[in-house]
Amino acid sequence: MIADSTKQRLDELVARYPEKRSALIPILHEVQAEVGYLSPEAIQWVAGYLGLSPADVMSVASFYDMLNLEPVGRHMIYVCHNLSCSLLGAERLIRHLEERLGIRVGETTPDGLITLKRMECLASCGTAPAIQVDGVYYERMTIQKLDELLAKLRDGRLGRSRT
Amino acid sequence: MAFEKILTRYQDIPNYTGTIEDYLAQGGYQALPKALREFQPAQLVEEVKKSGLRGRGGAGFPCGVKWGFIPKDPSRPKYLVCNCDESEPGTFKDRMLIEQDPHQLIEGIVISSYAIGCHLAFIYCRGEFVEGARRLERALAEAYRQGYLGENILGSGFDLDLYVHRGAGAYICGEETGLLESLEGKRGQPRVKPPFPAIAGLYRSPTVVNNVETLCNVPHIVLRGADWYASIGPPKSTGPRLFSVSGHVERPGNYELPMSVTLRELIFEHAGGIRNGRRLKAVIPGGSSAPVLTEQHLDLRMDFESLAAAGSMGGSGGVIVMDDTVCMVRVGEIVSRFYHHESCGQCTQCREGTAWLHKVLSRIERGQGRKEDLEVLLDMCDNMKGKTICVLSDAAAMPIESYLKYFRDEFEAHIRERACPFAGQGTF
Amino acid sequence: MPTLKIDGVEVTVPANTSILEAAKSVGIEIPHYCYHPGLSVVGQCRLCQVEVEKMPKLATACNTPVADGMVVFTRAPKVEKARRAVLEFYLLNHPLDCPICDKGGECPLQDFTLKYGPGESRFVEEKLQRAKHRILGPHIVFDAERCILCTRCVRFCREIPKSGELGVFSRGDRSEINLFPGKALDNAYSGNVIDLCPVGALTSREYRFRSRPWDLERHAESVCPLCSAGCNVLLDVRHRQGGEELLRIRPRENPAVNRWWMCDEGRFTFQYLADPARLRVPTWREGDRPVAMDYDDLLLRLARAIRRVGEAHGASAIGCIASSRLTNEELFLLRRFFREILGTPHLDFRIRPVQAEPTDASEDGILRRTDKTANSRGARDLDILPGPEGLDVAGMLQAASAGRLKALFVFEEDLVGERPDRPGCGAPGRGVREALGRLELLVASSLFATGTTALAHVVLPALGFAEKEGSFTNFQGRIQKIHRALTPDLASRSLPEALRDLARDLGRDLGPIEPERIWAAIGERPGPYQGLAWKDIGPLGLLPAP
Repeated sequence: MIADSTKQRLDELVARYPEKRSALIPILHEVQAEVGYLSPEAIQWVAGYLGLSPADVMSVASFYDMLNLEPVGRHMIYVCHNLSCSLLGAERLIRHLEERLGIRVGETTPDGLITLKRMECLASCGTAPAIQVDGVYYERMTIQKLDELLAKLRDGRLGRSRT
Repeated sequence: MAFEKILTRYQDIPNYTGTIEDYLAQGGYQALPKALREFQPAQLVEEVKKSGLRGRGGAGFPCGVKWGFIPKDPSRPKYLVCNCDESEPGTFKDRMLIEQDPHQLIEGIVISSYAIGCHLAFIYCRGEFVEGARRLERALAEAYRQGYLGENILGSGFDLDLYVHRGAGAYICGEETGLLESLEGKRGQPRVKPPFPAIAGLYRSPTVVNNVETLCNVPHIVLRGADWYASIGPPKSTGPRLFSVSGHVERPGNYELPMSVTLRELIFEHAGGIRNGRRLKAVIPGGSSAPVLTEQHLDLRMDFESLAAAGSMGGSGGVIVMDDTVCMVRVGEIVSRFYHHESCGQCTQCREGTAWLHKVLSRIERGQGRKEDLEVLLDMCDNMKGKTICVLSDAAAMPIESYLKYFRDEFEAHIRERACPFAGQGTF
Repeated sequence: MPTLKIDGVEVTVPANTSILEAAKSVGIEIPHYCYHPGLSVVGQCRLCQVEVEKMPKLATACNTPVADGMVVFTRAPKVEKARRAVLEFYLLNHPLDCPICDKGGECPLQDFTLKYGPGESRFVEEKLQRAKHRILGPHIVFDAERCILCTRCVRFCREIPKSGELGVFSRGDRSEINLFPGKALDNAYSGNVIDLCPVGALTSREYRFRSRPWDLERHAESVCPLCSAGCNVLLDVRHRQGGEELLRIRPRENPAVNRWWMCDEGRFTFQYLADPARLRVPTWREGDRPVAMDYDDLLLRLARAIRRVGEAHGASAIGCIASSRLTNEELFLLRRFFREILGTPHLDFRIRPVQAEPTDASEDGILRRTDKTANSRGARDLDILPGPEGLDVAGMLQAASAGRLKALFVFEEDLVGERPDRPGCGAPGRGVREALGRLELLVASSLFATGTTALAHVVLPALGFAEKEGSFTNFQGRIQKIHRALTPDLASRSLPEALRDLARDLGRDLGPIEPERIWAAIGERPGPYQGLAWKDIGPLGLLPAP
């Protein structure tokens, strides 16, 4: 399930910490990037790798917003909906994205290309409204900029970056 | 007279990209050899105490005092963890500091580690800061290469390993013990205190957790002296502070200023005033956990004491400005939605209270409020404050109380008119 | 030792005692949910907050250590308001389905709400909907809507059996206790989460909907008979027109033995007591067929048969294989009957390899032990062992095989067959059938028909542990009482009664058969129990001085 090269990276991560378990969240990031999401099998693999119970690992993974326990699209759009971004039109962006993608927040387009999620403050309030796509910030967003971005995602001009 | 930028002086250097070459060219990594050569660790702690540097993450605790709590026993490992989990809504200074000038932070961490006798330190970086983490990693590699990290730093005999540790999306990990739990590979649930991290922190060992901006101040204190530092700003809130100004201002952004600056100067001089010539309605001075202030507070100084005296707090320095198109019930709904989403769920009052607050405020905003809701809200806030393991519950309750204190008529109007009177206005 | 004042009551407790435990020690209740003395302290439920003089905020009593001179108020107005608030918060999303909840009547959420909670709800929003009756494992069913996230169950699984099946998933008010997909809550101690759960979220699949707590009229203190650990238990019995029913076994706290826990095997193995297949009347085999007889007539006939063997072959042609499932009192009487009244030296109980000292060991480092009988230690302490020139179990079987042993009594052991599902049955038996077949007189007592009873001339129905008064001595040497929870069948006779009557028919006096009077005799004999009396054995047992 996990490539040898990845496993080597995980071994390096583990070696950084006085206690092995500390590497859990960095490892979950790596495994998620490799598998696409944290499937039960992936969780079980990580549990075995670190010598933890699968329930324990699941309990940790489910605590964090960026760790996906369900399959997600190829691209992940997070829209900040906290106060500063809302003051400058975040809800309008969300409505627009929902219309253009034909999905609701939390859903993935039927072609599996894009998952749309709301996100709490991304620390981009000075350049609000902000969104994050595959880990990359897009700030001072407008409807027009959103449409350009969606077009790029659709025709593959934006590769998926590792988050 | 323009204030001399200290933490953000790179902003005035053309083509500054934050590489180690750039940092060295503008005089970086001069504090570190000075600290290692001229100071015993205990002297550094004293120097930072003397500087009056207070934590820039939210609580404003004196940094040197925090360091002083670390036991001197050399046999126990000690850890320094840089809190780069910047998540307080309205705050975006740490992200800037790590993306624009990562070596300033690294230098601060190495000096601070030396001061407390730590040989393994971590930068706990918010998971969403993908780019920030990448730049930090790059900077760490540069620093290792040039001997500012690793074994026998600059021939001093002092060793330090420093790693970036990425979180994965949870506001509560900004709370220092939640952060330590997360760093130990657990759910980021804050710990019962005492024991405080200085006694039993990471791996139950003495640990200092300092905010990014706090640590960035350290090289400057070493280089220019505690007296110089203490001369900046009011006596109890010394040094420069980064104010993140956002919302309805002409020029949102980070402003590095002494804390003697008034709210009025910050908003109207530095940030260019209210957008589109509108009126100021409300301002949150220290991140969304801080109680709201209004026009009447504009001449307050932005130091910890003055803001506390006005019933609010300096918090994380996130200043959110709202003009007169803003519905305060909607603000309450958004802010309470945030705490509802972010409560870790271990304490009853917080888990249930944040959700209940959000539901009631949403209902009022939808025009389905009941007369008795406001008293229920206030009582609920009272029940949530000061009774939980960490202060997220307080942080959720205090702003709502303040909205009700200054804008009660708006809440009543929603209930009376069975609708939001601001519907259709602005972009909100 | 610090001295403090709690609600005006002066208390002196060891340093590091929590306020909660200090209050408990003087009978002051501080309500709490997440705290449990057997688990790590997390301080999450926030219900146990009390006011402490000079502390700015309320303090959680569970994790605040006492200090000398501390002044604590558990009923201050601030405390009462905080409690009311916590209980109100708990009930926001709680389904309030007490009328159909198994926990109703013995539910700390109900009890504390009644005592300290708000009378009415101010919550008008929609309640969260969550999973109902989700089967978690062989014994446990979960109702997530009732759960108050105290995490006792999660901590139990992590800290006691260390199996870690449960976790809190998600966060905030979306938090839910659950299993990893495809896993079950099936550790050997899973039933303890039922007792730990302070609400009706985790209930017993066996006990569910079978009774109301207020209908359980008797809670007999007893000891689990299924291994040598001697876990202290309560036997919950309901009286109905159909008779008494044992509905539930729960652990009874004993810090020196089982603390608060017991294993699932002990908790859920008791249906056999109500099994219609139990032997109810004594029988005498006529040809191949056991024929029921009046107890008195049977004992008279048995006495004659014993006398015949004794007269023809001497007392040493008689042997007795006792069981370490029997109580100390039964064993003492057996010894008196066989060694003193009949005068045979052939007496033993060690039919399992594990009973030969010192192979009894912990099975899992928790409670379960490898000796699956309750009273090997008692049998050894009471010298249920071969006398001078006496034969052990193997020796008696060899002697039977060789025709030297003519009469053998086997009490509550099956030397022939294997019935692992029924306690009281199950032992190896190579060549045993042949040996037993050569006996002139084989007497067996048993709960159920077994391979041994099938060969026996005389079969006496035995009583289960829940039907007896007496004591067991656990592996530590701790003597612990068992009390009768169920009234034995009228047709049956207890072993002491049967022995007394048999002795009488032999023209001898067995002596008293009531436990306290038996102990008067035990206490007179040299040995580990010398000087002890029945009344010395308290609810937590008695560990004789070495």
